[in-house]
Amino acid sequence: MIENNELTLVLILVALAATLAGRLLAKRWRLHWRSIPAYVVLPESAADAVESDNRIHFSMGSSAIGQASTVSALVTAELVYRLSQRLVVSRQTPLITVSDPVTLTLAQDTLRRAYEYRCRIERYHSRAAAWYPQGARSLVFAAGVSSLAADADVSRSVLLGRFGYELALLGESALRHGQVLIAHSDRIEGQAVAFAQAQQVLIGEELYVGPAYMNGRLIEQGSVIALDLLRWLVIVGVLITALQAL
Amino acid sequence: MRRHRLLDILSTVTVISLGLVTVIGLLSDRDSTAGEMAGFLIQLVALISALAVLVGIVNLLAVHTGRIRHTEYGWPYSLIVLLAAVAVVVLRIIDRAEGWSGDLEGETVSLRVFEAVQVSLESALMGLLVFFLVYAAYRLMRRDVTVWNVLFLAAIVVVLVGWIPLENMDALGDVRDWLVRVPVSAGARGILIGVGLGTVTVGVRVLLGQDRSYRG
Repeated sequence: MIENNELTLVLILVALAATLAGRLLAKRWRLHWRSIPAYVVLPESAADAVESDNRIHFSMGSSAIGQASTVSALVTAELVYRLSQRLVVSRQTPLITVSDPVTLTLAQDTLRRAYEYRCRIERYHSRAAAWYPQGARSLVFAAGVSSLAADADVSRSVLLGRFGYELALLGESALRHGQVLIAHSDRIEGQAVAFAQAQQVLIGEELYVGPAYMNGRLIEQGSVIALDLLRWLVIVGVLITALQAL
Repeated sequence: MRRHRLLDILSTVTVISLGLVTVIGLLSDRDSTAGEMAGFLIQLVALISALAVLVGIVNLLAVHTGRIRHTEYGWPYSLIVLLAAVAVVVLRIIDRAEGWSGDLEGETVSLRVFEAVQVSLESALMGLLVFFLVYAAYRLMRRDVTVWNVLFLAAIVVVLVGWIPLENMDALGDVRDWLVRVPVSAGARGILIGVGLGTVTVGVRVLLGQDRSYRG
């Protein structure tokens, strides 16, 4: 049983109400979001990769369906899908790497849907999504993925989801092979490495608003408003608690 | 097209209903029907995850067999991966059949090989990470000198120097402790709260059946 059940329920209900209200707002008015440089660079990178006939490597790290990182796996898959829709018109198939076998099927399905969207399903092959076992410290995964990405001659590495220190190995290999590196991690150690290594970094919750920034649907824009509202509620809550403690 | 639409509806209905049952179950007593149902669903997920490892292994073998067949760049490494995979399976089978004799009798050779090769390789890579990180910090400053980058680098330097066990360095050690305890801890919590809130908002979208990433 979850502790603080009432709080959890309230949080879910507030998020639900704010998302639906945000959807209505987005439908009525054109909303302007603050700029997140990585979401400016990502579509440009996809366009550049198509024009220059280069490959892009996406990695979801250890984001895993059925575990605590399920949501980060789903959001990353959605972002990969939207970018792959642009990439699959080229000869070069995007490369997706994962370390969770259930997420592997999601990655394969994401690519298949992108090819289907462009009516090029005959060019899809499931080998474009690759699984590497995680190992005790995820370094096996990092070593396998770096080697595969280098051999596949990718021009950009987009690492989104759950990574630990092993991100340093992935990032170093990407930069050594002249790849543009865009990274995020929902774990603190991976986030710190991403900040130091990547040309463009997504921090914390910025990953979860990604779909709204890339041809977002109304409900996704509503989610951004809900996230902002929840953030302000937390800030007010922290301030009130701090003032009470004085 | 019609088949896909049916799959869409089926997967959406499955996700919404199972998601709601799990949420209600987790918010209820563990002994209640809803709680037991949620527990069963979570066990089911664990079972599927275990079975899915087979899918992963098949994918690993398919990816590397394909690379060898098409003689893609770096294919000899793929051959090593395949040979290593076969060797591990063979060793495990011999272990289970207790087929070793002589000095190896009664030994679990696959475990010994695992410790000798993988653990030492992982430890070596872990050792390299420090150098990668220091080089990354240097590259960060070469790329762009901003207030945040300078702050990040200064924090790294203070923490690293603070760990040096020299005499008369107590003051720096105190600064390091304060840095780790106050600003680093606050920043880390801020990021984790953000990730948590992001998870809740996307989770709500999934429960509403509005997240399309899993649809067929």
